[in-house]
Amino acid sequence: MIDIQALTFTYKDETAPALENITLSVPEGGFLGIIGPAGAGKTTLARAIGGIVPHHYPGDYYGSVKVDGLDTIDNRLTDLSRIVGTVFQDVDSQIISSVVEDELLYGMENFGIPHDEIPRRMEFALKQVGIESLRERTIASLSGGQRQKVAIASVIALRPKVLVLDEPTGELDPASSRQIFTLLKTLNEEYGITVVIIEQKIMLLCEFARQLMVLDHGRIFVKGDTREVLSHAEELEALGVNCPRVAYLSRLLEKETRETLPVCVSIEEAEAMVRGLMK
Amino acid sequence: MRNLFQYVPGNSLIHRLNPITKIVLTIAICVAAFMTDNLIYLAALLGVDLAIGIIAGVPKKTLGILKGLLKIAAFLFILQALLTRRGTPVFWIVTDTGLLLAGKVVLRLVVVCMPLTLVLAVTRVSDLANALVQVVHVPYKYAFTLTTAIRFVPQFLEEMNDIMEAQTARGIEFDTRNSFKKLGMILPLCAPLLISSVRRSDQTAVAAEVRGFELRTSSSGYKRYPFRLCDLPAALLCAALIVLAALI
Repeated sequence: MIDIQALTFTYKDETAPALENITLSVPEGGFLGIIGPAGAGKTTLARAIGGIVPHHYPGDYYGSVKVDGLDTIDNRLTDLSRIVGTVFQDVDSQIISSVVEDELLYGMENFGIPHDEIPRRMEFALKQVGIESLRERTIASLSGGQRQKVAIASVIALRPKVLVLDEPTGELDPASSRQIFTLLKTLNEEYGITVVIIEQKIMLLCEFARQLMVLDHGRIFVKGDTREVLSHAEELEALGVNCPRVAYLSRLLEKETRETLPVCVSIEEAEAMVRGLMK
Repeated sequence: MRNLFQYVPGNSLIHRLNPITKIVLTIAICVAAFMTDNLIYLAALLGVDLAIGIIAGVPKKTLGILKGLLKIAAFLFILQALLTRRGTPVFWIVTDTGLLLAGKVVLRLVVVCMPLTLVLAVTRVSDLANALVQVVHVPYKYAFTLTTAIRFVPQFLEEMNDIMEAQTARGIEFDTRNSFKKLGMILPLCAPLLISSVRRSDQTAVAAEVRGFELRTSSSGYKRYPFRLCDLPAALLCAALIVLAALI
């Protein structure tokens, strides 16, 4: 679904590349989590998948990005956005309307969703994100977290094939963050939507993402299946990326027992492993 | 100020009017106010403004707007009264013609300023823009400019407040009672505010583009804005206001 070949990108008027030699492939129905320290190029990568880089942000661009077979260079941003739905990091600047309902309508109207289908999609999106009660509210009266949910709902209503989210839970409390991840899981599993999410909450990423990629200074530090990436816990720590405690636990136990143990990503798994070892 | 353009939800007669009718009504009131030279008729127009506010169910807001305009009105009244040199003096250098003229200027100002703010209070900006695109066939680009500008007023104020709070926390006396001193302190804030707004508008442009801004046509809107029976009396009122202004 997403195929990136040797992508190197330098923003105009910058000397250091924001992304360097990124090669990445996400299959249809994949769920990729991207993590890395500030300034690692995460946002640039999200922009590149949606075609916003280089269409809106010019610069030196090498390599290729293909989404659903379309090369992002050869296609217009408008055509690309039928396939890729993007939720940006800065919530306030991406909300266009003054009222929640209008914000959801905006994209649907533009992309020509049949008018008899609009109410269903509207209700679906509002319900999935859990903001049905905010439908008539003005954006100005919402909290940061509520706005973030509106931004997510407005993209979900469009049912894109690929969903790119740049730190969508930045302003959300733990319960709402989990709710968003659960929603992404549903969209991913039931509707086959490919999800790419940039996120700092590593515990959630480990639990939900099937693939993980760690970026550092514009380069891929490590990528692969979630468990595989987590087995590099010490290197990640050195980079400033915290691994979940359960992943540490498996590493520690491995050293202690001198056995090869699977990397745990959830508390339940860790519990089962510890019980197994105690027998 | 924060709530100046804020939509007040409701289901009054004014709320239900077609957005275009509301705009026409606003324009009719303004045109009538500029056509007439009759003090009593101007006062009657002010009555129409107030009536609209009361029917719309926003009397508090109406009075708020009136109160806000009062300061400017008082200033204008004094200026006009002092500077008019015709007529017979009533006291000191103020003449009867001056007072009459000042009254008219002030009333006209209030009459013209009120309906637009009122209309924005009882109409969603998006409805206004969509109706303009659908019914009047205003190019969407201009309608978008209007909605975005109004949408960002509260945002802008919020940001200004944030910057001021940050500065206050670092010992700058924004809570001073001296307005001149305060103004002097606010001016340097314009640079950061401007920079962040430009950055923000750039982001908004991308957000609009990735959600199909360029595909939008006059028939894209989901909501339709047909003229209904309740628009008729409003249209008649518009005609009556202008005819009366021409006659009196």
